[in-house]
Amino acid sequence: MMIPRRRNKVIVIGGGIHGCATAYFLAKRGQIVSIIERDHIARHASGVNAGGVRSLGRDLAEIPLSLASMDIWNNLHDEIGSYAKAFHPSFYLKVAIDEEGYAFGSARAEELERAGYNHEIWLESSDVQSRLPKLTTPTYGGFLVEGDGWAIPWQIVRGFAQGARQHGAEIIEQCNVFSLELKQNCWRLKTEKGFFEADYIVNCAGAWAAELAFQSGEPRMPLAAYAPMLAVTERKPPILPAVIGVLGHTLSLKQIDTGQFVIGGGVRAAANLGENSGEVVLPELVKSMRLVAKLFSDIAYAQIIRCWSGIEGYMPDNLPIIGHGKQPGLIHGFGFSAHGFQLGPAVGKALADLVMDQQPRIPLDAFRPDRF
Amino acid sequence: MKKDFDLVIIGAGPAGMSAAIQASKFDMKTLVLDDQLAVGGQVYRHIMQNSNKKKDLSFLDGDYWSGHNLADKFLCSSIQFLPESRVWQITKNKEVFFTQKGKAHCVQAKSILIATGAMERPMPVKGWTLPGVMTVGGAQILLKTACSGADGAVFAGSGPLFYLTIQQYLRAGFEIKAVIDTRPKKMSLVAYIWAFPSLLQLRLLLKGIRWHSEIRKKLFYFSDVKSVRIIGKDVAESLCFTDAEGREQRISANHIFIHQGVIPNINLTMATELKHRWCRRQLCWKPKIDMFGESSIEGIFVVGDSMGIWGAEAAVFSGKIAIQRIAEKAKRSVAIKTLISCLYRWRQLAIRPFLDYLFKPPEDWLVPEDDTAIICRCESLSKTDISNAIKLGVSGPNQLKSFCRAGMGRCQGRLCGLTIQKMIANHHGQSEEKIGYYRLRPPIRPLTVFELATLSNDDSTAEK
Ligand SMILES: Cc1cc2nc3c(=O)[nH]c(=O)nc-3n(C[C@H](O)[C@H](O)[C@H](O)COP(=O)(O)OP(=O)(O)OC[C@H]3O[C@@H](n4cnc5c(N)ncnc54)[C@H](O)[C@@H]3O)c2cc1C
Repeated sequence: MMIPRRRNKVIVIGGGIHGCATAYFLAKRGQIVSIIERDHIARHASGVNAGGVRSLGRDLAEIPLSLASMDIWNNLHDEIGSYAKAFHPSFYLKVAIDEEGYAFGSARAEELERAGYNHEIWLESSDVQSRLPKLTTPTYGGFLVEGDGWAIPWQIVRGFAQGARQHGAEIIEQCNVFSLELKQNCWRLKTEKGFFEADYIVNCAGAWAAELAFQSGEPRMPLAAYAPMLAVTERKPPILPAVIGVLGHTLSLKQIDTGQFVIGGGVRAAANLGENSGEVVLPELVKSMRLVAKLFSDIAYAQIIRCWSGIEGYMPDNLPIIGHGKQPGLIHGFGFSAHGFQLGPAVGKALADLVMDQQPRIPLDAFRPDRF
Repeated sequence: MKKDFDLVIIGAGPAGMSAAIQASKFDMKTLVLDDQLAVGGQVYRHIMQNSNKKKDLSFLDGDYWSGHNLADKFLCSSIQFLPESRVWQITKNKEVFFTQKGKAHCVQAKSILIATGAMERPMPVKGWTLPGVMTVGGAQILLKTACSGADGAVFAGSGPLFYLTIQQYLRAGFEIKAVIDTRPKKMSLVAYIWAFPSLLQLRLLLKGIRWHSEIRKKLFYFSDVKSVRIIGKDVAESLCFTDAEGREQRISANHIFIHQGVIPNINLTMATELKHRWCRRQLCWKPKIDMFGESSIEGIFVVGDSMGIWGAEAAVFSGKIAIQRIAEKAKRSVAIKTLISCLYRWRQLAIRPFLDYLFKPPEDWLVPEDDTAIICRCESLSKTDISNAIKLGVSGPNQLKSFCRAGMGRCQGRLCGLTIQKMIANHHGQSEEKIGYYRLRPPIRPLTVFELATLSNDDSTAEK
């Protein structure tokens, strides 16, 4: 006889930003919640990402979610207390440095206007230069969002985990979920640490989520895993007051409080889901480095001291899966396609709404699990 | 197009040079890369430059000069050698990336030989970061390359290189203030047992005994010393310790040289994701290799001290064996010759276990007793800082990184990795093997944004 070890109302699988934020909002609203994490909290994408808190440049479908998240980021202290100090708001500037970038920017400006969004402001080239005095290449202008910034990712995730714990949630680490199945309206999880039961499952298992879902009886969802890479330099005097992107290029660049530059922006290597490891292939970053050296010649002579990658799940349309699964009591939140960190707080709230059968404030239609 | 080579050798010490010589006999198209200005590695550092001032450098003995022959053969062979080349990544497809004179290059190899040698074990005793404190290996390099040294220095620690360098220092005419030997007086039982096979290398054994007795006779010598601390405000001012009788001692000195043996330099092998194992005898990680030196990735060999500490003579052999193996694999045959070389090599290894047990680093040199001692130099983290982070519930070195930034500086954990691994192991009451090491990633040596930006696919002709 298999004797269930515990009976939980909601089990969140995955201790990344989405899992922890969901658990936090559920626990805060009085639900009985457990997070089950195979490794430790924030071990994967959520702990090692570039920390970009960016509402700029979002897909139109994602903007409401991103702006709602920004509201939470701006009052983060109310939710996670002193952990909120890990968020450093400044501004985000995405510049055009070539014709294509400029054309891309103009099209985007029109699109935003038509949709009625005004959080992204177009700056003329002289304004860009005065905001970024150390810039060493002429621009055609760029988009600005005031209040975007960066955060130390693992601290934010820990903040949500700690908050969830304070509201009574249980966090079970080093516990792989092998399988889950629905039996008489009750979800049954087979894990490394025995069996668990729950009325609701929130699947926040990141790059591993689609496989877990499929195995539980959900239709196959087209999630692909890759390992985006980041590089960090030695410490340098502060020259960069904002997070920088380049229209039409995959680059994100920032200088963090230690003075180090973090260079990334979506160049990705292969991920190995079986071994939970991502590769680092430095030469793939050559283009990003050329771009950085061109933008800020001061950074060209900074030494790169470390590179790493994190495993992320990508959807074909680069939009996440957020919504009810086919089976009752199963809710998915994954596939953030390398831009899910900023969305975390709002996604947590939305997933909590879904569990509690409340209508989320934000339209989630574009993220339906059955859209493929 | 990327340049193709049959073989790329990384490191031009004894292992790398002997491998290259062997490879030239097999007509392999070979490239040898080394970080340094010239051939020699650590043991034979500056050997070619020194060869014409042999008379002035009488402190260097025959073992050193024997490297000249090897280096000479190496330089006269047909292989291509690029000094000042810093390898920062090897991929599984056997591409080798390096920077030379400010430009990044990539070459494609059929086989790769990693011969990056050893490094001195980090010694986080109290005060080890003060100016004036240097490793014994560092002091020896200065002696070999610039004939420079300091009068009135204190040597603290133990190990073969420790005694050798003291000898050389003496012969070079520098005055040594004191020798603080941490080796326990009583030899452990295992050391006694391993003393027998070490007789196979009687010459080395006798040499060691002679050094030791000379040092005892000629110098202000303390044996069986414990609790070494280095004291000073802005620079090293004195060295404190407990002597064999349990008395507190203090010796003032501005130059303090410390040493507790050497360990394989694993940053490249780990970043290449070769499999490693924890060696309990030598208290270090070693790449897993077969008897010929081939690692867990086919075609990547690890030879010399970077596969485990065996010394220069064994390194020469291991380089040769690996090349024979590569040549035979290409011909799909195994020659008796290679197997005989392997057997012969065992003779060269006979003394090692004895030395390992004799010079096992004391516990308080692995994890300092003093809570204020610095452990992570790059981020200036003390033992207390690390302990506090571990108490937050850290399961291994990688998680610790994000909790306190230990190991995230420019040395990539070279100087704190083993200490942190041990502290976590002690905290959880688990073995160091279980706790594991930092996950190391390329670049294994810093390179600038600009240098990486210069890498191109169509050009790889490095300057000779
Ligand atoms: C290098 C990099 C840079 C990035 N930069 C940014 C950025 O600047 N801004 C931004 O907004 N986004 C960024 N992202 C994206 C962002 O990090 C991710 O979208 C987000 O963290 C995803 O969070 P998650 O909780 O869904 O997944 P994860 O953080 O991957 O969490 C999933 C968790 O589920 C656990 N799990 C999986 N399977 C099981 C199982 N069977 N049993 C138990 N547990 C399981 C895993 O161990 C993991 O901890 C970046 C991502 C990477 C990799």
